[in-house]
Amino acid sequence: MTAEAVLGAIQSRRVVREMSDEPAPREQIEAVLEAARWAPSGGNLRPNRYIVIEEAETRRLIRLASPGMFQRAPVLILIGANWNVVAEHQLPATDRALLIDVGAAAHALGLASGPVTSYCTAAVKLILNLPRSYSPELFICLGHKAEKARPGMRAWKRISWRDLTHWERFPPG
Amino acid sequence: MSENWVLQEDEAVELLALLSTSARIQMDEPAHCAPSRLLTATERLSGMIAERASPKSRDFLLENVARIPRLHRMMSDVEGYTKSLDERCRAVAQFLLRHSQIDAGA
Repeated sequence: MTAEAVLGAIQSRRVVREMSDEPAPREQIEAVLEAARWAPSGGNLRPNRYIVIEEAETRRLIRLASPGMFQRAPVLILIGANWNVVAEHQLPATDRALLIDVGAAAHALGLASGPVTSYCTAAVKLILNLPRSYSPELFICLGHKAEKARPGMRAWKRISWRDLTHWERFPPG
Repeated sequence: MSENWVLQEDEAVELLALLSTSARIQMDEPAHCAPSRLLTATERLSGMIAERASPKSRDFLLENVARIPRLHRMMSDVEGYTKSLDERCRAVAQFLLRHSQIDAGA
């Protein structure tokens, strides 16, 4: 593994909002889940559990309850959080590093991915039979980018890391 | 007025689900997401009925969907986004007038 390859993968990864019907192979889905398992977790307490949804009818129902899910993805992964653990240890419900690792893993495997957070929690919990102590934190849509997908959100202006960074402390004024 | 049946029962229920769940998530989302949710419903309704609509309506539906402003435009250019929504509303009104019994010039 070269630094160029890793950095190139980070720079070329995009959130994909329009996906084709092409299925995602099971071994690739499992590889993404393995990446999630290796993601950092506060206190190594791992409050997250994953539900992989491949069944077409369940995906349809989830999409009906998710106004922010523009994708018709062949695979959905729900990241759920055990709030007993989250509350007891005052953890973030989902570590952002988990999302980054999952997106990077999917990209490395040639899969498109897109997170979705705009869904009706009550409906999703019912459809997926989530226990009372678990909350749905995030869906990851997995699949392949649609051939005729509209272009994604463009940067408002071109920025570099230098525009976002200060050394040592925030400048005065 | 056309009397074509363009929406199937499953599609109507899908739209109902979208609108109901949109109402709920709007309680937690920033207010500026609300127009986007309604436009998503517009887009899905157009997608459901375009194939069964009369040619005159189909052309309008497809063009209208293609011109729906995207949420990121609202986040970067509120004024432009609002103007774009005004244009959509004018286009809808023009379509309705053109296919109504009203003589707009009277």
